[in-house]
Amino acid sequence: MVVTSQGNHATSVIPRSGEPGAVATTANSPAKRKSSPRRGRRPVATRSAAARRRDLPVALLLILPAVVGFATFYAYPTLRGIYLSFTEFHVLSPPRWVGLANFRELFGDDVFWHSLLVTAYFVLLSVVFGTLISLVTAVVLDRVTRSSVLRGVILLPFLISNVIAALVWQWMLDPTLGIVNIALKNLTGHSILFFGSGGWAIPSLAAISVWKWMGYYALLIFAGLQTIPPTIYEAGRVDGASEVQMFRRLTVPLLRPILIMVVVLTVINSFQVFDIVQVTTEGGPANASNVLQMYIYRKAFRQFDFGYAATMSLALFALLIAVTFTQLRLARANESDLN
Amino acid sequence: MRVRQAVALGAALTLTAVVSACSSSSGSGSGSSTVNWWTWDDKQAAAYKVCATDFEKANPGVTVKITQYNVVDYFTKLTAGFVANKAPDAFQNSVQFFPQYADQHQLLPLDDYIKKDSFDLSRFSVGVDSWKYTDGKQYGLPLDWAATGLYYNSDMLTKAGYSTKDVQNLNWNPDNGGTIGKMIAHLTLDTKGRRGDQAGFDKAHIKTYGFGQLAAKDFLGQSTWSSFVSTTGWRLGNKANWPTELNYNDPRLVKTMDWIRTLVAKGYAPKIGTFTNTVSDVDLLSSGKVAMETGGSWSASTFAKIPNIKVGIGPTVLGPDGKTRAVFSNSNGNTIWAGTKNPDLTWKWVSYMGSEACQTKASATGTFFPSIPASMAASAKALKAQGVDLTVFTDMLKNKELYPSPDFNNGAELQDAIEPLIEAYFGGQKNDSVFADMQAKTKSILTQK
Repeated sequence: MVVTSQGNHATSVIPRSGEPGAVATTANSPAKRKSSPRRGRRPVATRSAAARRRDLPVALLLILPAVVGFATFYAYPTLRGIYLSFTEFHVLSPPRWVGLANFRELFGDDVFWHSLLVTAYFVLLSVVFGTLISLVTAVVLDRVTRSSVLRGVILLPFLISNVIAALVWQWMLDPTLGIVNIALKNLTGHSILFFGSGGWAIPSLAAISVWKWMGYYALLIFAGLQTIPPTIYEAGRVDGASEVQMFRRLTVPLLRPILIMVVVLTVINSFQVFDIVQVTTEGGPANASNVLQMYIYRKAFRQFDFGYAATMSLALFALLIAVTFTQLRLARANESDLN
Repeated sequence: MRVRQAVALGAALTLTAVVSACSSSSGSGSGSSTVNWWTWDDKQAAAYKVCATDFEKANPGVTVKITQYNVVDYFTKLTAGFVANKAPDAFQNSVQFFPQYADQHQLLPLDDYIKKDSFDLSRFSVGVDSWKYTDGKQYGLPLDWAATGLYYNSDMLTKAGYSTKDVQNLNWNPDNGGTIGKMIAHLTLDTKGRRGDQAGFDKAHIKTYGFGQLAAKDFLGQSTWSSFVSTTGWRLGNKANWPTELNYNDPRLVKTMDWIRTLVAKGYAPKIGTFTNTVSDVDLLSSGKVAMETGGSWSASTFAKIPNIKVGIGPTVLGPDGKTRAVFSNSNGNTIWAGTKNPDLTWKWVSYMGSEACQTKASATGTFFPSIPASMAASAKALKAQGVDLTVFTDMLKNKELYPSPDFNNGAELQDAIEPLIEAYFGGQKNDSVFADMQAKTKSILTQK
């Protein structure tokens, strides 16, 4: 409803007032193309201060819903979370300020550091295998077939909810009833405790995660591959390069910005792993898959130690910001070798 | 200009609509004559409907609303209710969460009501003390009690050459396992049909384990190792209630755990992780993977209803002295929320639930064991008619072989700290030295404020 009235506003007001600047917000409205032959940012600069002041109340009103939403659901919880990390808070009684006590506890908490290592291991496996498998899938898709049916099939796991995917895999990998273990037993005579043994828990979880996200990342990379002009490959072929050489020397370097985006997304995504762990191993056995989110959840919602849980979340938040910025810096993500 | 005003008005109207939609949903409070009661057990929710109907009849104008939430969400939902001021007037509570709620003043002390109505607590044979907090006040009435027993597949037992009588007097010791140790070995079958105590037995290919999950992540051991080690006189806490440490490093417990490890190593009981946590005790027995196991009294009627398999119930083992039997028992409680708008009416409902009349009617379904002996007798009789024999459990109560689970603080934290260590022990990553760590951990968790 708001959108249509905005459209009316743009088309009807402009010709009368003769201020092309007023349409700057609706970029694609037909009025703009008609009334301003000069393209680009010029019209904005020529707007009078009075006109801008008159727009202000409406502008404020229009962004109000978004700002209210942002303030209620992002800004306030974040600030409150930071505040709670300096308190002892058990939900039912008001928080009590304890200063840095939670942070001191954090440094001495073996389970926290262990969880961090477990999470890092999970992230490493998911990022390395996730990126490699999606890259290979995308290149094969690009070079061999462009069937949109196949692309749809590859995207399917991404459309399934994490919990369902984890449940289905849990049954398939079940030590006694699972189809994977039945096959293994027939082939090797032994079954593997995919979720029940310390060594296998994290690799199994990472495999589920890679399987689930592979299609999505492959599609992103696939889109990136389409931006590489075919002339480059023609030139490569003329110079006598093999498929493998072209993949290494042409495709990968030219894909860098997309690959970096995929890596950053995988890192953030896998740091936040929770649902598949909660469904399958619940952090076990013997904390072998007790990823950070799992530990935070248990502290908060099982032990009601919300203050300490907030401290750990804050640590994770700081860590993620640091990792992401370093990654972007190191990888020069905003540059491309295509121009 | 007119258009702009219209936009502003439209936006303002939308906002108002959104805001008022938010506020209208919170207007529905409970009426003055409604009592809300929560439970996590769907079967008990159905069973107590009978009491609710009777209570409503006796108190015209009063409505009792029974709501059930799955145990996975129950306590989270309850806590959210406390915070949002929308908790139920009264609810089924577990000892694991009781100290926390009492400590944070969410529960109404019942002492005044008990005195005013001269409500006789001695009508309950078990569980009263579990619901007394460290401040000496009574916060709950026991709703039920539970014990454990040995459930076995009758056909497998007969095929192995035992009679049901043999199960009634099994003894056990941590050195050679006693008579039950022999029975477990004999009940175990490999895929070629050889028994655990026969030559050529292949422990890598087990068809049926002689005993169920003993090597499990279970920090109380209620349905795993507790009924074994308790016969030696070992108890979980260093005090009956509000212990300051748990006796995991006691040589008697360590020896018992070692016995379990040798049992698993011989292939007589499943390794930890062999069955996932979605597999229940009932599944294990009904699938034929296990010939015998420790199980809760609360499962008795479920075990009896497994199709095509006849399940027998035996008492837990006698100790090394051949005559001591000791079984860990816990009681859930009925507690009143401190924030209730109708404390008087809620107490009336809670005390009615704690009466023989209600308990007898509700427990006739066999879904729980009432704490009132007369009701228990009636319940056992009703179930016997359905083919479920509870004599094993009623005898334990009669012979005073039950001992109550200790109340302690920070139960959830304790569980999360201890269970990974137990898993590491049974998984072979840690040896006997882990028990000293465990005991030290319980000490620091139990004594922290």
